[in-house]
Amino acid sequence: MPKPAALLPLLLVCLQSVGQAQSPADEDWFELNIRPILAGTCLNCHAEDGEAGLRADSREALIEGGQSGPAIVPGEPDKSLLIRAILHTGEPKMPPDERLDDESITAFVAWVKAGAPWPDHEPPLGAETASPLAHWAFQPVERIAPPADTSGWSDHPIDRFIMAALADQDLAPLRPADKRTLIRRATFDLIGLPPTRDEVAAFLADESPAAFDQVVERLLASPHYGERWGRHWMDVVRYADTAGDNADYPVPEARLYRDYIIDSFNADKPYDQFVQEQLAGDILAGSTPDGEGPPESYAERVVATGFVALSRRYATAPFELWHLSIEDTIETTGRAFLGLTLRCARCHDHKFDPVTIDDYYALYGFFASTQYPYAGSEELMSKGFPRSHFVPLTAPEQARPAIESHQAAVRALEDQIAQLEKQEPVDRPKVDALKAELRILRRPGLPAGVSGAYAVTEGQPHDVPLQVRGEPRDAGPVVPRGVPGFLSKGEKLEIPSGASGRLQLARWLTRPDHPLTARVMVNRVWQHHFGKGIVATPSNFGVRGAPPTHPELLDWLAAAFVDGGWHVKDLHRLIMSSKTYQLGGGDDEAAAARDPDNRLYWRYDRRRLEAEAIRDAMLAAAGNLDLARPGEHPFPPIESWSWTQHSPFKAVYESNHRGVYLMTQRIQRHPFLALFDGPDTNYSTDVRTQATVPLQALYMMNNPFVTRQAEGFARRLLAESADAAGRIDLACQTAWGRPARPAEIERGLQYIDQYAAELARQGTAADQIEPAAWTSYARILLTSNEFVYLD
Amino acid sequence: MAKCTAFDRRDFLKHATCLTAACGGLYPSLALAAQAYEGHPLAPKRAHFEPKARQMIFIFLTGGFSHVDTFDPKPKLAADHGKVVPAESLREVTREPLLASPFQFGRHGQSGLPISELFPHLAGVADELCVIRTLHTDILEHFQATLAMHTGSSTVPMPSIGCWLSYGLGTFNANLPSYMVLAEHLPYAGAQVWDNNFLPPYHQGVRLVPGNRPIQDLASPALSVTLADLEQIMLRDVNELHARARAGDLSLPARMDSFDVARGMMREAPEIFDLSRETASTLESYGLAGGDSTSFAWQCLIARRLSERGVRVLELIDTGSHDNWDAHGDMQQHRAKAARVDKAIAALLVDLKRRGLLDQTLVAICTEFGRTPWSDNGKGRNHWANAFTCLLAGAGVKGGIAYGQTDDYGANIAADPVHVHDYHATILHLLGIDHKQLTYRYAGRDFRLTDVAGRVVHEILT
Repeated sequence: MPKPAALLPLLLVCLQSVGQAQSPADEDWFELNIRPILAGTCLNCHAEDGEAGLRADSREALIEGGQSGPAIVPGEPDKSLLIRAILHTGEPKMPPDERLDDESITAFVAWVKAGAPWPDHEPPLGAETASPLAHWAFQPVERIAPPADTSGWSDHPIDRFIMAALADQDLAPLRPADKRTLIRRATFDLIGLPPTRDEVAAFLADESPAAFDQVVERLLASPHYGERWGRHWMDVVRYADTAGDNADYPVPEARLYRDYIIDSFNADKPYDQFVQEQLAGDILAGSTPDGEGPPESYAERVVATGFVALSRRYATAPFELWHLSIEDTIETTGRAFLGLTLRCARCHDHKFDPVTIDDYYALYGFFASTQYPYAGSEELMSKGFPRSHFVPLTAPEQARPAIESHQAAVRALEDQIAQLEKQEPVDRPKVDALKAELRILRRPGLPAGVSGAYAVTEGQPHDVPLQVRGEPRDAGPVVPRGVPGFLSKGEKLEIPSGASGRLQLARWLTRPDHPLTARVMVNRVWQHHFGKGIVATPSNFGVRGAPPTHPELLDWLAAAFVDGGWHVKDLHRLIMSSKTYQLGGGDDEAAAARDPDNRLYWRYDRRRLEAEAIRDAMLAAAGNLDLARPGEHPFPPIESWSWTQHSPFKAVYESNHRGVYLMTQRIQRHPFLALFDGPDTNYSTDVRTQATVPLQALYMMNNPFVTRQAEGFARRLLAESADAAGRIDLACQTAWGRPARPAEIERGLQYIDQYAAELARQGTAADQIEPAAWTSYARILLTSNEFVYLD
Repeated sequence: MAKCTAFDRRDFLKHATCLTAACGGLYPSLALAAQAYEGHPLAPKRAHFEPKARQMIFIFLTGGFSHVDTFDPKPKLAADHGKVVPAESLREVTREPLLASPFQFGRHGQSGLPISELFPHLAGVADELCVIRTLHTDILEHFQATLAMHTGSSTVPMPSIGCWLSYGLGTFNANLPSYMVLAEHLPYAGAQVWDNNFLPPYHQGVRLVPGNRPIQDLASPALSVTLADLEQIMLRDVNELHARARAGDLSLPARMDSFDVARGMMREAPEIFDLSRETASTLESYGLAGGDSTSFAWQCLIARRLSERGVRVLELIDTGSHDNWDAHGDMQQHRAKAARVDKAIAALLVDLKRRGLLDQTLVAICTEFGRTPWSDNGKGRNHWANAFTCLLAGAGVKGGIAYGQTDDYGANIAADPVHVHDYHATILHLLGIDHKQLTYRYAGRDFRLTDVAGRVVHEILT
């Protein structure tokens, strides 16, 4: 390739772009356009005791100016020496060596014209390097006792934090939700499915104070819990069943990592262990001298590193544009575990967070020292690269015999071909046949009988040179492997010789005193219970992320999480037992006026179900949902693969299993998931959008999938009740988790009659009328707002 | 929570259609749209400055058409045919000999614009065309180059130019998506080329698949319109009862609204695809035979009809990721590809002009990259990113000119380079948008279509 990296600086509009709503008077204007130049250029000479007596580290200093007079006259660029200097029209010329680009000059002019506004809460620029370090999320988790319960509302620790903030604003929580609302909320929250009629009835009948706790325990013990919460994690780790190269080769083994995630949540695996396994499971499994794992965990831990292996592939050749795949690993690691966006630092020091370009290449070294698998790409056909570096699920000594005999078979065939090709004349048909045989033999990557995972192993350990401006061909100084300096406070990781250092990275991440890891995870759990995080940007806890609405609660939860052994299920118990979680979702004009976004939790926010939950709930209502875990995706056999960028892999597999098990591609989004705001499979997703677009309505009204579920639902109604009013009640209970009201029964009966009469008028066969009318009614319920919204 | 307020799109539609019929003109009625659904994410928005064009038709020719065989004649290439000039190719330095174009060039129109024999009909509208000969892009692989021409990014998926325009400008017709893509086959990079990515999903391109069912899920499963209407009324009743107890939550009426819009699409769309009222001479001018719904001519005619109905951005993709302009084997493969689009594009330009729409519509004709001046496999050409040709026509663009200069062989740019970012910046400019101001904050950063680059090519503007 001529210019593989000429595409850089890769869209990282960290700096130069100017927000649509921005004006030079906005803080962002200063932060994006002015501050970087003052700090990066001017301050080199014009700091304390600056050249020509000028300091450029505060507005006051610029107005006061130096030996030549004021540097700026706010509002009057024409009279501002600084502007004249940067225009390079006379003397002095600043910066002296090279004129700034036009865009920057324009930004300065606009800024001075707007009065040179300087965010007043900022310390002078000279102290600027210290300020991001003081950012709340980089400080140790504070151990805070919940405030006293002075209102008598609740002595639950969470409620005490919430109540204190509400009282501060003269707000009061609404009434608690009714029991039907609560069980529907809890059931969707924990297992992503609606409660059954029996479950609702049992909860209503149970008047003991522990009734709701028991519901929570039942749901936490359900195998469907992991399917729900595993899916949340799959969003974060940009899970997909294909590699993302131009031909988007399938990765049948990816599902093992998906199942690992689900099983880990079901087992309530401590989160620190979960993190360590995903980054360094291969090492923990015992595949290296540093390893220590029990044999029964071997496969599981190897599979866990699918987190690293699933990094997005680019282009057509094996490991092409590899620096971008590693960028994906680093970015996803940063977002998932640290709540930091690190990829800005690929080309330059992060503009807002104290992440430097050295930090980026220090992390890069861990993954450059790691062997990733190769799932195939079109080069497989043209140049004969087989799938490779899939990791056996058994320890090396067990897998070795089969692998060695397979390699021997490959070599024998290669030798045979070489021999034949030396003879004159070459027996072309025979050589071609053997070559085809060889290709098929090599293609799966591992011999038949040896199961493998799309996982990583230790590669050649080495430190990497910094890539100047993110350009792989422009090597800078070598950066030793390590973790971001501002978080490690200069402490170095002890990486054993011969190791990539991933294990040390993982252990550093999960140190009990790490300021970010626990905070980020408890915030995610909170987010999926309330529809929003305490930090509204769950994968960005950096300087530009949203500040926490309840910083003390966040810290208290993080501390409790770590102290209790990193158990996610304990977090659910804690959160769901609070009155805050059990609040009703009503309206209160006064409260809505003061806190329209309900940042303080005076009520519970209504929210739309996610794509998978909508789909699963429809299948469930119809009696069509297959709750078993499916096996492999029905990909064509590996031997037949020949996708190219001209004819990429593209498939949608119908399934009645839960949505979490749908085959999802990177290049080709799954049509249903794409339509209903499913995650981006190319990038770590922290918050799904909730759009309402007409194409969703078209799908709801007209798609055959919905029709099938409506038909199934109608069949159930017809089978389960002989009388129409009873059916309507049954329908409401199944779809909405509540009985029909008298007016609804009346309107429903009227509708069925009207619809049936119209069918009859059109000459519909008599035996078709009843199923058709009830199918229509069933579709209305399945597509109604009450079905897709959770109170 | 949806931020949109309720508004009656049905009334708007009634207005729009009545007025269109009454005035014969389109824009007076479309202007009403701005008032009719103010506040909606797709409501027409004011541009940054007075636009030259109000709508765009983006014609994407898949596979990379050869500039030296179409719009950028190179006599020296013919003279030096067979000579070897080393240069970088896909992954190694090539020693392939130069290949003269097998096609004749002629000068056309009053402007005398050179166009090869591949495009006899476009030659007939030469004075409308602005040929930009100095496009260049970053990567010469199909997937990446296709992505770049649509999103400005050749690696990480980003929102498409159509989505950015929808986000920046909204659209005129509430019953139709703001950005529609007519593509029988998927191009390289698939649906990523019209994906909204991080922009709100309202702005996602909606693909129409030429053939019997251009829009998915458009046909009701109900046995009659009456039954579908009954069902819709009942659904609204059910939802209203639900919403009444939940006043103050605008997401609920917004979702109810979306069903009305969908019904609007179901009503309006069939008429769009019903070509029975087009005159025989119109059909003939496009080269459209009766019953045909998969030719590029059909795509062009439908594009005009959608344009008339106020869709902000239309994209036409001529072929898919196979059997396209990717002529590695023989340049003669270009003949069939050109024949597929030549007459239809010319007819579209003429038709738009005749209806007074070309003054308000920008037509962009572009591709992935160019092709090497030297041969590939003897008679074909390989991918080439250092210099290639794209076109603009219509509102705000100088017609009958060729901008920029490549070297004697068309291998590199001699003067006036136009990067893909510059092409995009120019398109946005024509639609009244400053490409540096159209940003969206995502993951803590402001993103824009043109990344940190982009220059408006003022020299080609009227």
